[in-house]
Amino acid sequence: MTGATIIAGAVQLAGIALAPLLAGAIQQHKARLQGRVGTSALQPYRDLRRLWGKAVVQPLGTTIVYVLAPAIACAALIAALLIVPVTSAAPPFGLGHDALVLVGLLALARCVVALSSWDTASGFGLMSAGRDLTLSVVGEALLAMVLLIAALPVGSTDLRAMWLGAAGTSVWSQPAHWCGCGGMLLVVLLETGRQPIDNPDTHLELTMVHEGPLLEYAGRDLAYLQWSVAARHWIVLVLMAGLFLPHPASTSLGLTVIAIEVVALTVTLALIETIQAKMRLLRVPHLLAAGSAVALAGVASWVIGITL
Amino acid sequence: MIALLAIIGGGVLAAGALLPVVRVSIAPALWLQGIGLALTGLAGAIIFARGLQVGSNFRTALHPGLGVDPLTGFFLVVIAVTAIPVLVYAGGYLPGTPRSRAVTGLGGGFLLALVGAVCARDALGFLACWELMTILPATAILLAKPDVAVRRAIFEYLAITHLGGTGVWITVLVLAERGVLGGASLAGRGVLLETCIGIAALVGFGSKSGLVPLHVWLPRTHPVAPSHLSALMSGVMIKVALYGLIRVCFWWMNPAPVWMGIALLVVGAVSALSGIIAALLQRELKRLLAYSSIENVGVITLALGAAIVLAHAGAHTWAAIAFAAGLLHILNHAVMKALLFLSAGSIERATGEHRLDHLGGLLRQMPWTGAACGVGILAIAGVPPLNGFVSEWLILESLVHAGLESGGIGAIASTIALAVFAATIGLALVCFVKFGGLVLLGKPRSDGARDAVEVNHPMRVGVVALAVICVVLGAVPGLVVAPLIRLQPGGGGTSNIAGLWLPGTGSLSTLGLVAVLVVATAILVRARGPRTAPAPVWNCGQIDEPALAWTSAGFTSSLRLSMRGVLRTERTLERDDTNGIAQEVRYAQHVPNLLDHWVYHPIQRVALRLAGTARRLQSGSLPAYVGYFVGLLVVLLILARVVSG
Repeated sequence: MTGATIIAGAVQLAGIALAPLLAGAIQQHKARLQGRVGTSALQPYRDLRRLWGKAVVQPLGTTIVYVLAPAIACAALIAALLIVPVTSAAPPFGLGHDALVLVGLLALARCVVALSSWDTASGFGLMSAGRDLTLSVVGEALLAMVLLIAALPVGSTDLRAMWLGAAGTSVWSQPAHWCGCGGMLLVVLLETGRQPIDNPDTHLELTMVHEGPLLEYAGRDLAYLQWSVAARHWIVLVLMAGLFLPHPASTSLGLTVIAIEVVALTVTLALIETIQAKMRLLRVPHLLAAGSAVALAGVASWVIGITL
Repeated sequence: MIALLAIIGGGVLAAGALLPVVRVSIAPALWLQGIGLALTGLAGAIIFARGLQVGSNFRTALHPGLGVDPLTGFFLVVIAVTAIPVLVYAGGYLPGTPRSRAVTGLGGGFLLALVGAVCARDALGFLACWELMTILPATAILLAKPDVAVRRAIFEYLAITHLGGTGVWITVLVLAERGVLGGASLAGRGVLLETCIGIAALVGFGSKSGLVPLHVWLPRTHPVAPSHLSALMSGVMIKVALYGLIRVCFWWMNPAPVWMGIALLVVGAVSALSGIIAALLQRELKRLLAYSSIENVGVITLALGAAIVLAHAGAHTWAAIAFAAGLLHILNHAVMKALLFLSAGSIERATGEHRLDHLGGLLRQMPWTGAACGVGILAIAGVPPLNGFVSEWLILESLVHAGLESGGIGAIASTIALAVFAATIGLALVCFVKFGGLVLLGKPRSDGARDAVEVNHPMRVGVVALAVICVVLGAVPGLVVAPLIRLQPGGGGTSNIAGLWLPGTGSLSTLGLVAVLVVATAILVRARGPRTAPAPVWNCGQIDEPALAWTSAGFTSSLRLSMRGVLRTERTLERDDTNGIAQEVRYAQHVPNLLDHWVYHPIQRVALRLAGTARRLQSGSLPAYVGYFVGLLVVLLILARVVSG
């Protein structure tokens, strides 16, 4: 095991602790952009600490599904976080680095949370879970095509190879990469639940997507679920930076550039949230389908062999 | 030695099928059938794992022959692994139902026909088993539930599978006549012959396996069958139909033309997507499961199409993996669909309800059946680390590599198929989360669900055994995948007990995933901390009203609304106003069956009109019939003159 592998592995493990910082940073940037003081970027940690001290609830009539759902969602995201490499030297952690396994783990988290809503049978949770799963239908098609585009230059769905494939400048001469970049941005917005797809700041039933199932949870269960939301931020932002933004191939320099890009992405997300209103829910699948069409055009350009 | 094992197995199975003729009790017959299947399955497993060849090869001559090669061995394993738990279940399910002895015997004959169809090595033997495979379950269903609706469903089943089945006869007989069954190559015999065989095979085997648009019989027949037969039909029978398609595409037509691969991709994508969308809109347990079978057959077809496209691009390693992916999904889907159909049977037995919106809370009422059904739901929804995810991952990877390694139209078709398949997986997740939620979780939504009690022991054992198989196949898929990859030339990649290490992927470490997920979940649940006293569901302070409980339609409403352009949902809203005050509001919505509307009804109308015209010939008057005979005689005489002269 080389030094680069140890560093990459350490950063990935640190991601478990650093993920809430990303969510907090976005909120802080957004507040600044809107002319408010806002909360500190550390606010998610304070929330988690507060929740950690509270007791969990066990609503009447619920089953083991309610108990297990937050833990399984959290475990799936831990596994997903270990799969997404920060550099090409990342250690396998016994899980490999396959892009499509990542898709499966994100689906597992979504599935158990939706099932927990059925377990409590609360209307708000079910409404949100139904919406979340609806959006993920088109979202998964888009994500699969985006990952295919990232796999095109290297012919492999190994995320470390794909990370190397996106390194350097030659890949930018492919129109497919630009299309994939656009598609991935939509995936980032969807998975992090940010505007224009979802509004993380409200619990208004007309607009709520990801927040609904969380309403029935308290204490450490809720802490697990909130960490899971933050972990999704880490996963998709690191993935976007590693697969679609320019970075050098070497580990140490690459790691620095990726870190800067992830910070830049949090600013970008805050900016999008500030200038863009939330979309009508039923328009979102159309937006994602348009993204899929762009991604398909990207693959077609690769097949035909167009370069810039 | 192995041949002897298989023959004894077949004999015991036949004895088990015949025993109900003389014995009053069905238990010994089911035991014999189970033992027979276990023996054939064991023989099949040995042949499959070691890559042996037992018995005769395929032959053009008409004298009967039986043989087992690794592919047949694999299908024997699929039949045994699925059918033995089903037979255990039947031991608890059948007693007390009408004509249970006859149903047991016919069920045994059905299993024998399935085994025969995969072992047959001559054209006539195959076709005989093929027809028995259609007719025996139809007879059993009619005996078990003799009412008008069932008779109509069976009529449609027989009509469509027989009309479509002509494709099978044409394929097999033409291949036998050209000596292809005996080992002659089809290559260089002309494009026309190849095209005819390809289309005939697609229609023939496709109609029996439930590929769109010849699937309409499936969602009508499988729900009315006794549950153990639904499980066998949806789990095994439609897979044996795919066995025929696999033989044609990968053995007799080898190498299959690339258009065949693209045709399979198109048919598979259409079946997968339309099957799961239809499943999503169903409100009955078994109809939903039947539509989901159409989806899964489509998914398997996608993998087979990708294998052909990859083989044409020269990527033989990935062609072999794609082929293995399809076969693995055959096994996985057989197990999980049998599990779900059996659970549905138990649920119907325990609650007397088959409507999704009238179930609920069964995980508490029926812990064994409920937990097993839950495993099946997660497996078919394709979430890790269960078996459904493994085969869907392999198929996704196959489509990705078909996009990466083949150029031109093959790459574009594979990419579209990839997107469609990914959306299908997403839809399957919605569909089965809804299914699980409505059936197993929440509050009981009817008296039947409230008073449900767990079913008897054999029925529990059957479903729990299938659930265990789902978990095992998810944890150690390498056991099956490694020999499957070797079935095709150029099969590389390594897969051992801990996962699948394949070239061009980041590898799926199944045991690693199981370990991380289980350990992390266990730690997190332990760290969950103190609990407060039980309290009602908060629901944002709303009172818990049964009338406000979420329904199947409610959960999928945003999906239906965003797809309304495709689905053409018809909604009616009626208001009853008196003195300006709304007294009553009635809302109904209906999703029309567009295929029936646009394809089958026009065909039906034309056929009836033609039949009406033809009926005029049957006037009933003697002079008319004499006239027909005279006319026929004149025509024949002229013909004879023309031919001889």
